Amino acid sequence: MIVDVQNLTKRYPGNTAVDDISFNVQRREIVGFLGPNGAGKTTTMQILAGYLPATGGHVEVAGYDVFKQSLDVRRQIGYLPENVPLYTDMRVTEYLRFRGRLKGLGGARLRARLESVLESCGLTDVHRQIIGSLSRGFRQRVGLADSLIAEPELLILDEPTVGLDPNQIRQIRNLIRGLGERHTVLLASHILHEVEMVCNRVLIINGGQIVASDTPGKLVGLLRGNRRVLAQIRGGTPQNVQRLLEAIPAVVNASCEAQGEWLQCYCESKKEHDIAEDVFRVVAANGWRLRELHEERRNLEDVFAEVTSEDNGKNGLLRRTGSGEKRA
Amino acid sequence: MKNFFTIWFRELSACFLSPVAYVLMVVFLAVASGTFLLEVTQTPVLEQPLTVALFEAILVWLTILVTVVSMRLFAEEKRSGTLETLMTVPVTEAQIVLGKYAGALSFLIMVTFPIAITLALLVAVSPSVQFTDLDTGALLTGGAVLILVSSLLVSVGLLVSLLTRNQIIAAICCFCAVWTVLLFGWIITLLSGGAVQVTMITVTDHIRDFSRGMVDTRPLVLYVSGTVLFLFASVRVLESRRWR
Repeated sequence: MIVDVQNLTKRYPGNTAVDDISFNVQRREIVGFLGPNGAGKTTTMQILAGYLPATGGHVEVAGYDVFKQSLDVRRQIGYLPENVPLYTDMRVTEYLRFRGRLKGLGGARLRARLESVLESCGLTDVHRQIIGSLSRGFRQRVGLADSLIAEPELLILDEPTVGLDPNQIRQIRNLIRGLGERHTVLLASHILHEVEMVCNRVLIINGGQIVASDTPGKLVGLLRGNRRVLAQIRGGTPQNVQRLLEAIPAVVNASCEAQGEWLQCYCESKKEHDIAEDVFRVVAANGWRLRELHEERRNLEDVFAEVTSEDNGKNGLLRRTGSGEKRA
Repeated sequence: MKNFFTIWFRELSACFLSPVAYVLMVVFLAVASGTFLLEVTQTPVLEQPLTVALFEAILVWLTILVTVVSMRLFAEEKRSGTLETLMTVPVTEAQIVLGKYAGALSFLIMVTFPIAITLALLVAVSPSVQFTDLDTGALLTGGAVLILVSSLLVSVGLLVSLLTRNQIIAAICCFCAVWTVLLFGWIITLLSGGAVQVTMITVTDHIRDFSRGMVDTRPLVLYVSGTVLFLFASVRVLESRRWR
């Protein structure tokens, strides 16, 4: 276990940013840290990085207490803050060399690491440029290169792909996925799709509390509500098709609507039933033609909406993670 | 120790990465040497040694120079957020404070040093003055006390800069603090209505004495201990972020 957070609380005057959260991160895990703005993500990351003190609770990184053994902790981490603060008057290599030295690198190893991060973050072409003259995307990469330079055990990345174009996002995403082989990554992000693709596990934080924690797949599985199968059928009248589809035992609701020559049919079932095959059987038995049959996948976005929206939060996934009662 | 030098070097080179350093150098040289030359050439009978006139002229402008150099030390890092990146690498608060302090002080010395050229200029413009008229010993002791005063003032400025993220506020407070330190003895004398005569901690008196070649060890203790006090306070202020 590389990160162990127990009952972490952070209070600012008149505001509780993080309220009694506990979680842990295993080595070589890529954990996505999700939450709406102001949920306490950045605060939690700043505490983990040793920048902010906690009001209460116990935080360990790689076996070191974040508060008491701050320097040891800082040797283990690479931290990329949210707005990527950089010395804009320095050149890229100057800055990275400075940061590398502060992180204890020197001599041949510093040179080798510098080469390596310039390469992996796609900065080779701009390494002589002054940081202030770089675009947002390149600055983001300089920040990422800085967090990687000392090959830390734990990478704490606060929204690493904000402000990047789609190609750059893909590059960074691949880079982060590759990092998972040698590093542990704690990644805060707003882009749910990205988290879904990159992370082994997702922590969703809302109102200072962890409201969900699991693999993206399992979280989607926890969603309430019915499954929906879409089928495009040709051959019967809408009423007839709807009646026969509703006759499938697991189907709770079916609707059919004519779209040109084809019928657009939706069948809903309880979460535990997979009805796609049953729908196909009905179609085949009646000699209709079938053009499309698929189950509408629900994704992390649905999970996020369910656990973080005001009206759903209290009785949704929250209850299942057992921490809902403490919400103010 | 390595971190200290790394931060020192970065701080010093940062000054030269922006045009600020060059502008400061030229302007400081112009106004300080102008003040000195005016005083020397326009006074019919100079009642004090040349070196006193020189170092007093430097001191007046030094207060502004200290303000400009030290106001950005931490205020700038706080505003741009780079303090966060600096505080999350394995570097102690003392290394950060001392590294930045050393950077600012060495820059200050580099900026004030070229003013010695002024003396050559003086020899050139006034035929009556010879290089042999200059008291080299007094020049050296004056230079030494100037470095001591600078080190105290920069430590004050650094502490002020730590307390705010706004550079304007830092500059104003720093300027006031610097003058308060310079005139501290005089202020006490004034407040007590002349009942208490405080001369040992009046910086202007030290400048006058040292630049006449009078070396007194008591002010040395004052400056060194004052500097240590303000630096210690700065380290504590920076650390306090971790127990608030």
